[in-house]
Amino acid sequence: MPAIEVEHIAKSFGKQCAVSDVSFEVNPGEIFGLLGPNGAGKTTSIRIILDIFKPDAGRVAVLGGPMDETKKDRIGYLPEERGLYQDQRLDRVLVYLATLKGLTTSEAQKRIGAWLERFDLAEHSKKKIKELSKGMQQKAQLISTLVHQPQLVIIDEPFSALDPVNTQMVKDLLREERDRGTVVVMCTHQMHQVEELCDRLVLIHQGRAMLYGTLNDIRRSYAGHAVNVRALADLPAALPGVANITRHNGDTRLDLLPGATPQAVLQDLVARGLPLEMFEIAMPTLDEIFIQVVKGQEDAA
Amino acid sequence: MRDIWLVLKHEYMRHVARKGFIFALLSVPLILVVSIRAGFLSVAASMDPKPAAYVDLAGVIQVIPPAAAPSLDSENPFSNVELLPYATEAEARAALDAKEIQAYYVIEADYLETGAVRLVAVDRPNEGLSSQLADILQYNLLSRFPPEVQKRVMNGPVVEVLAMDGSQQMSGANIWGIMLPLGIGLLFFFGISYSSGYLMSALIEEKENRTVEILLTSISPNHLMAGKVAGNLLAGLTPLLVWGGSAGIGLIILMTSLPESARPDVDPNLIWISLLAFIPAFLMIAALMAAVGSSAASESEANQYSGLFTLPLVVPLWFMMLLIDKPNSPLSVGLSLFPFTAPIALTMRASFTIVPFWQIALSIGLLWLTALACMWFAGRAFRLGMLNYGKRLKLKEVFRRSKPTPKLEGGHE
Repeated sequence: MPAIEVEHIAKSFGKQCAVSDVSFEVNPGEIFGLLGPNGAGKTTSIRIILDIFKPDAGRVAVLGGPMDETKKDRIGYLPEERGLYQDQRLDRVLVYLATLKGLTTSEAQKRIGAWLERFDLAEHSKKKIKELSKGMQQKAQLISTLVHQPQLVIIDEPFSALDPVNTQMVKDLLREERDRGTVVVMCTHQMHQVEELCDRLVLIHQGRAMLYGTLNDIRRSYAGHAVNVRALADLPAALPGVANITRHNGDTRLDLLPGATPQAVLQDLVARGLPLEMFEIAMPTLDEIFIQVVKGQEDAA
Repeated sequence: MRDIWLVLKHEYMRHVARKGFIFALLSVPLILVVSIRAGFLSVAASMDPKPAAYVDLAGVIQVIPPAAAPSLDSENPFSNVELLPYATEAEARAALDAKEIQAYYVIEADYLETGAVRLVAVDRPNEGLSSQLADILQYNLLSRFPPEVQKRVMNGPVVEVLAMDGSQQMSGANIWGIMLPLGIGLLFFFGISYSSGYLMSALIEEKENRTVEILLTSISPNHLMAGKVAGNLLAGLTPLLVWGGSAGIGLIILMTSLPESARPDVDPNLIWISLLAFIPAFLMIAALMAAVGSSAASESEANQYSGLFTLPLVVPLWFMMLLIDKPNSPLSVGLSLFPFTAPIALTMRASFTIVPFWQIALSIGLLWLTALACMWFAGRAFRLGMLNYGKRLKLKEVFRRSKPTPKLEGGHE
C-alpha cells in the first residue's frame, strides 16, 4: 500500500492556476523527490497532501486513506523558509512542538535531549532561537520534524542554510530514517541533491507532473545516443559509427550515428588496443533533463 | 482538549514568563501602593499630635461621643486628637502659650442662640479638628432625643433622586459612583488592549516564520485558535487581575481609615453587569484582532488597524459628563447599546441610574451577537489569510469565498 497516493490534483487561486494535473505515489521505505523550479506548484501540492488546502479536483490518500486529525501525529513536516519562535528558548520550543505531536512532556524532553546532543546543540538548549545561527536553527527544525518518530516525513528544501558538513549529516540522517522504514518526501529545486538521495521522483513544472519514476529509468529514457570514454591514450580523430567527438576534463563524449551501437564502438576501441579506464552510456544529469523538458514544453507552446 | 490546553499554556507562558511582563505586573501596584502610602504619610506627618482644648462657656458638652474620641495614629491623617476641657479661656491660653496644646475653641455663652465658636491657635491646627468638635457638639445637643433620632441627624438624610420615568437615579455626590465604573472601564480597556494585542502579534509571528504550517499539520485549526484566544486572553487578564486585585485591597485598606460617610456604596449589580458585558467584549475584540493578525502582511501594518477596534471602547469616557448627568438620554442609551461602546457606557450608566432590564438584555445580547459574528469573520480570515504570505487579505475576499469548507484555503507557492 502506497504511503501517499496523489491522483490528478488541481488547485487554482482566483485566476492563477497553481497545480493543474499532478499524480504520483510514494512507496513505503523510500526517499521520494518532489522536484521543480520555484513556483512550479511543489508547495501547493504538499499543502494539498497535508490537508492544509483542499484540492479543486483530484484525490489524495495519506497513510492508507484521506488525511485526518489522527494521522497528524504520524507525520513530520518541515516547511520551506521556516523560522521558529525567535524570542523563546530552544528547548522550550522543541518540547512544545513535540507535545503537539502527541509526546508527553517527559518523553519529549528525553528525546530532544538526545537529538540536541547528536546535533551538537546541547550547550545551546537554553538560548533563545534568535541567538542561534541559521544552520543551528535549521537543525532545530529538523529535530522538531523527526522527534516524534513519524512514519511519513515531508521536508521542503532540507539543505538550505546548511554548510557542507551539516548537509552531509542531514543526508545521512534522511538515509537512516529511510532504513528505519520512514517514508521521506523531499521537496527541492536542487537536482543534484535528488540524484544523490532519492529512489524515485516526480518533476513538476507549471503545475503539471512532467517526469515520474525511478531516477535510473528517467535518466535512461532521456539518455542521448552517446557514450563517455576515458582512455589512457589519445583517441583517433574519427571512429566508425561516431558522428562527433567532444573532449571535456580528460573525458571524451562520443555521439553515435543512427544505427551504431555502444557495443560496436567498444569492440572497435578494444580491437585498436586502446587502454580504457572508463566506458559508459552517457546519461544526462537531472539538470540537463529538466532543461530539456522545460525547453520541450516551451517549444511545444 | 489536550491540544487546546498545550497551546493555551504555551501562549500564556510566552508572555507571562517574560522579565518585562513580570516587571510591569509588579511595578504598577507597587508604585500605586508606595504613592498612596507616601501621600498618607505626608499628610499624617503634618499632623500635630498635641491635644487641643475647648472652653465650654455655654455648658453644652457633657460627654465625648465614641466617634470623636481620641484615636491618634501617626500614620492616619483622619485620626482624632484628644480634646481637653478647660474651665477658663485664661487657662487654655496659658496651655497654648506653653505649647501643651495646639489650639483651643471657645464655645461662647450664647452658643445656643448664635452658634458662635471661636478658635484660637498659633499655627494652623489639624485638618479634622473642627469637625471633631462639631461632632461632639452635635452629639451633646441631641442627647435628649432617642438614639435613633440622634443617629439619623448625625448621618444626615438619604437623598433619592427620581428621574421622570420613575427609575432611580443617584445624586452623584458620592465620588465613588464616578470612580468605580471609570476604574472598571479603564482596567477592562487595558486588559482588552493587552490580550488582543498579544493575540495579534502571536498570529503575525507564526505567519511570518511559517510555524503556523507546522502547527496546522499537528493539530486542528479550531483547537489552535481556541488555545490561542484563551491563552492570550488570560495573559491579558493577568495584569488586570493583579492590578485590579491590588486596587481592591488598597481600596479596602483605604475604606477602613475613611470616615463612614465617605465610604463607597457599591451596587453589586454593577459588578455583574460589567462582567456580563466585558466577556463578549473581550471575545469580540480578540476575534477582530485575530482577523487583522491573520490577514495583515506584517506586524506594522496590523498595528495600524488595531486602534480602530480598541479606541471606540473608550469613546464613552469622552461623554462621561453626559452619562453622569443624563444617564437615560438617547445618546447615553445609544452608547450603551452600540457593541463597541457598550461595555464602558453600560457600566457607567448602571452606576448612575437603574438601567431598565430590557436595555441591559439588549445591550449584552447585541454584544454577544457581534462577538459571534466577529469570531466567524476571524475564523474565515484565519483560514484564508494565514498562508497568504506577504500579501494582504482583502475584506471582500473573506465574504466572497463563502462556500462552507472546513479546510484552509489561501496563498500558494
